[in-house]
Amino acid sequence: MNLSAWPWLELTLLLPVIGAAVAALIKTPNTAARSSLGFLIGTLACATGAGITFTEGTVRSWHGFAVDEVAAPMLPAFALLHFLTLLGTAKSRVSPMVCVRLLLAAFVNLGVVTAQDGWGIVTLLALGVWLPFWDLLSRGAAARGFLLHMLLFVPLLIVGWRMAENGQELGYGLLLLALLLRGGIAPLHGWLPTLFQSAKYGAAMVFVLPLLEVLAALRLLLPATPAWMLDAASVACLITAVYGGGMAVVQEETRKFYAHLCVSQTSLVLFAVMLHTSNGLTAALCLWISSMLALAGLAFSIRALEARFGALSLREHHGYYEQVPGLAVCFLITGLASVGFPGTIGFVPMELLISGSVEQGLWVSGTLAVAAMLNGIAIMRAYFALFTGKRPTTSVSLQVTPVERVGILIIAVVVFLGGWFSPGVVSSRHGTADKLLDRGSSRTVHPGR
Amino acid sequence: MPALDKVLSGLGLLVVAAPVLLLAVFFGAFLCNRRLQEHTIGRLIQGTITISLLASVTAGVLMLWHRVAQHPIELGDWVITPHYHLKFEFVLDLLSLSYAGLTLVLCATIGAFSTRYLHRECGYQRFFVLFGVFLLGMLTASLSDTVETLFAGWELVGLSSVLLIAFFHERPSPPRNGLRVWVVYRLCDVALLLAAILMHEINGAGDFDHLVGKNAWPEHDPLLIGPHFTLLGVLFIIAAAGKSALVPFSGWLPRAMEGPTPSSAVFYGALSVHLGVFLLLRVSPVLDSSIWLSVFLVLLGLTTSAYAYLVGRVQTDIKSALAFASLTQVGFIIAEIGLGFRYLALVHLLGHACLRTLQFLRAPSLLHDHHQLENAIGARPREEGVMWEGRLAPGLQRWLYRFALERGYLDSLLDKCVARPFVASFRALDALETRWARLLDGERPPAAKSKAEPRPPS
Repeated sequence: MNLSAWPWLELTLLLPVIGAAVAALIKTPNTAARSSLGFLIGTLACATGAGITFTEGTVRSWHGFAVDEVAAPMLPAFALLHFLTLLGTAKSRVSPMVCVRLLLAAFVNLGVVTAQDGWGIVTLLALGVWLPFWDLLSRGAAARGFLLHMLLFVPLLIVGWRMAENGQELGYGLLLLALLLRGGIAPLHGWLPTLFQSAKYGAAMVFVLPLLEVLAALRLLLPATPAWMLDAASVACLITAVYGGGMAVVQEETRKFYAHLCVSQTSLVLFAVMLHTSNGLTAALCLWISSMLALAGLAFSIRALEARFGALSLREHHGYYEQVPGLAVCFLITGLASVGFPGTIGFVPMELLISGSVEQGLWVSGTLAVAAMLNGIAIMRAYFALFTGKRPTTSVSLQVTPVERVGILIIAVVVFLGGWFSPGVVSSRHGTADKLLDRGSSRTVHPGR
Repeated sequence: MPALDKVLSGLGLLVVAAPVLLLAVFFGAFLCNRRLQEHTIGRLIQGTITISLLASVTAGVLMLWHRVAQHPIELGDWVITPHYHLKFEFVLDLLSLSYAGLTLVLCATIGAFSTRYLHRECGYQRFFVLFGVFLLGMLTASLSDTVETLFAGWELVGLSSVLLIAFFHERPSPPRNGLRVWVVYRLCDVALLLAAILMHEINGAGDFDHLVGKNAWPEHDPLLIGPHFTLLGVLFIIAAAGKSALVPFSGWLPRAMEGPTPSSAVFYGALSVHLGVFLLLRVSPVLDSSIWLSVFLVLLGLTTSAYAYLVGRVQTDIKSALAFASLTQVGFIIAEIGLGFRYLALVHLLGHACLRTLQFLRAPSLLHDHHQLENAIGARPREEGVMWEGRLAPGLQRWLYRFALERGYLDSLLDKCVARPFVASFRALDALETRWARLLDGERPPAAKSKAEPRPPS
C-alpha cells in the first residue's frame, strides 16, 4: 500500500468542513462534540500524513492548496491545536454551533497555511474574522471594539495586497499595517484582550494562537517589502513584546493575563520575521510552533480551571493545587515552555531568537531577554495566585477527568519531546528560512535590499 | 587511551542520567495518577544519589590514577546553523568533580534527613520531585562545559528553589516570598543569557574552553583583554550576584527561609547559594582580563560580608541568622576569587557548604541541644566573642542597629525604586487600555457613570 499516494491534503481540508456540516445537523451537544472530536482526530491524522509525505519528497497540490516547507510541520500543529481546543471544552459549554465554528476555524486555518495564491490567503484571512465575531454575537457580548478593528484590518489587507501586487510600495505598507493589527501589535492590540474576555475561550484561541499573520508575512510581505518598513515594524514588535509582558505581570484577571501573554509572544514571533535574516526567520519558524503549542497547553489548563471554578481572579490566592495538581503541573510546564525554559519545546527557539537578534545590537537581545523575563514572572505570579493559598472546600470531587488527563498527557509529550527533537526541527526550519529569503531576493523589486 | 575515555564519558553521563531517570519515574507516576509510597520515594532518591555518587567518585579516582587533568564529554551538537551553534557538553575536572561530589554528598545527607523530617507531610512526593529537579540542575551546572549547559542547570536550580520556598503554600507568605525570589532569579538569568550570547559573538560558540583555553582548571591561556571581556565579566558577576544573594540582591535570602528546613539547608546554606561562586570560579580567567573587574569583585565580596555580618547579628530566628552567616562566608569567597586565590576559594566553598549544612540540619533541634548541653555542664554555656559594637558612639550604635534590623534597606530600596514604579506605570497603562476598550465597545467608563448619576443628598 503506497501511503504517499493517499489524498492527505484533500482529506485534511475537507474533513473539518464535512465535520462542521454533520455537527450542524446534530441537535444533542454531546453527540455533536463526540462527532466533531472524531473529525478532528481524522484531520490530525491526515495533516500528519500530509506533513510526513512531504518530508519524504511527495509534493501534492489541490486547487491552489499545497503542502510546502512552511506548511508541512504547521499542518499537524494546527490540527493538534483545534483538537486540544475541543478536548478542553467543558461538556456544559459545548453546543453544536460551538463545534461548527471550531471546525470551520480549523478549515480556515489549515486553508491559510496551505494556500499558495496570495488572494487565497487574503480571502481566507478575511473570512476567518467572521468566526469570532459570530461567537461574540451569539453570546450577546460587546463586539463593537473587535468589529471596528477588523473593519480596519480587512480593507487594509485587501487594498494593501491589491496595490502590492502592482508593485506599489504603499501597498506593502498597508499590508504590513494590517498584519500588525491582526497580530495585536501595540497600539493596535485593543481587540485582543476584549476578545478573550468576551468570546468563548475556544473561539478566541483558534483565532489568535495559529498566528496566521506570521504566515501571511512570510508569504505576502517578505518577498519584496522595503527593508525600512520591516525595520520599523520590528521596533514596534520589540516594544510590544516588553509591553505585553509588563501588562501580563500586573493583570488581575486570568483571561486578560493570558491575552497579554499572547500579545507578547505573538510580537516576539513577528519580531523574528521582521528581522528578515536567516537566523531571524529560523527563529520565527521554530518559535511559531513552540509558542502556539505551549500557549494552547496553558489555555487548556486555564479553561479546565474555569470550568470548575468560574472566572478566575489573580488578586487573591485560590489554592487549587491540592484539588487539581495535574492542571497545576500542566499550567507550569506549558507556561515555562512558552518563555523558553530549558528542556522544553520553547528553549531552543527562544535561544535562537535572542542570539539571532544580536546582529541588531546587544541591546536588542537584552530587550528580548527582558520580555522573556517579564513573561516568566507573569506566569509564576499567575501560578501562585491560582494554585497556592488556602484549599477551598468543595462537596464534590473536582479531580481531573480522564479526557483532561489525555489532554495533559498529549501536552506533556509535546512540550518535553518537542524539546528533544528541536535539533531536527531547527535544521529543517533553517533550510526553509533560507529558501524563503532566496525567493525574496529573486523577486525583489526594490533596490537597497 | 580510547578505552579510558569511553569509561570516563560513560561515568560522567551516568552522573546526570540517574536523576533524569528518577524524574522520569516521578513524571510517569504522575501521568498514571499513581501516588508513590514514602518508602519507595526514599529508596528511589537514595538509589539515584548512590549511583551518581559512585559514578563521580570512580571517575575522579580513574582520573587521578591515570593523571588525566580534564575530560570533556561531548553530547553532540544540538543545533548547528551557519550562524548559530548550540552545543551540550560536560567536563570532568577538578572544579566540576569537586562541586558535583559536594552536591551528591550533601543531597544524600539531606535526602536521608528529609525522609524522616517530612514523614506524613502531605507534600512529601512534591518535595522529592522538586528535590530531584534541584539535583539534576546542580549536577548539570557542575559538570557543564558550555554556557548553554550551565544555563539549563542554572534554570532548573532556580525553578526548584522557588517552588520549594513556596512549599507550604496554604500560608500566604511562602508564595509571596517565592515570587520575589523568582523575580531576582529571572533578572540574573537575563544577565547570564546575555553573557552566553556575548560568548557566542566572541568565540562563535558557548564552550568555556574556547574562552579560557584548553588547559585544565584553574590554569588558562594568557590573559584575555578587550572591552568585550570586561562586559562579559560584568554580566557574569551580575548573574552570580543574583544567585548568591550578593549585595544588592541580598534581600531575598531571609525570605527564602520560608521553605522546609532540608531545602533551606541544601539551597541557602550549602549548594544553591554557592552556585554563583562556582560560576565565577569557572569563568575566572575572564575576571582576570581587567584589574577593575578583580577590584570590583573584591569590593563586592567584602561589602556583602560586612552587610551580612551586621544584619545577621540582629536576626531573631536561627534559620535567618544562619543564612546571613552563610552569606558572610560567601562574600569572603567572592573576595578570594577577586584576589586570584582559586584553590583557596574552592576549598573554602567545600568546607563552608558542609559546615553550614550540618548547622541548618541541627537548627530545628537547637533548643533541645542547648538544654542537653546545660544539663551536661550544670550551668548556662558562657557566651564567647567580643562585642565591638559597644565601643561605638550611642548614635552610631542605634543607626547600625536600625540599619541591620531593616536589612540595609535593600528591600525597601528595590521596592521604592523598581517594583512600585513598574507596577504603577503598567497599572496606569492598563487603566487607559480598559477605558479605550470600553470606548470602542460603546460602554460608558465607570468614572463617567458615577459623575452622571445624581449624588444622594448628604
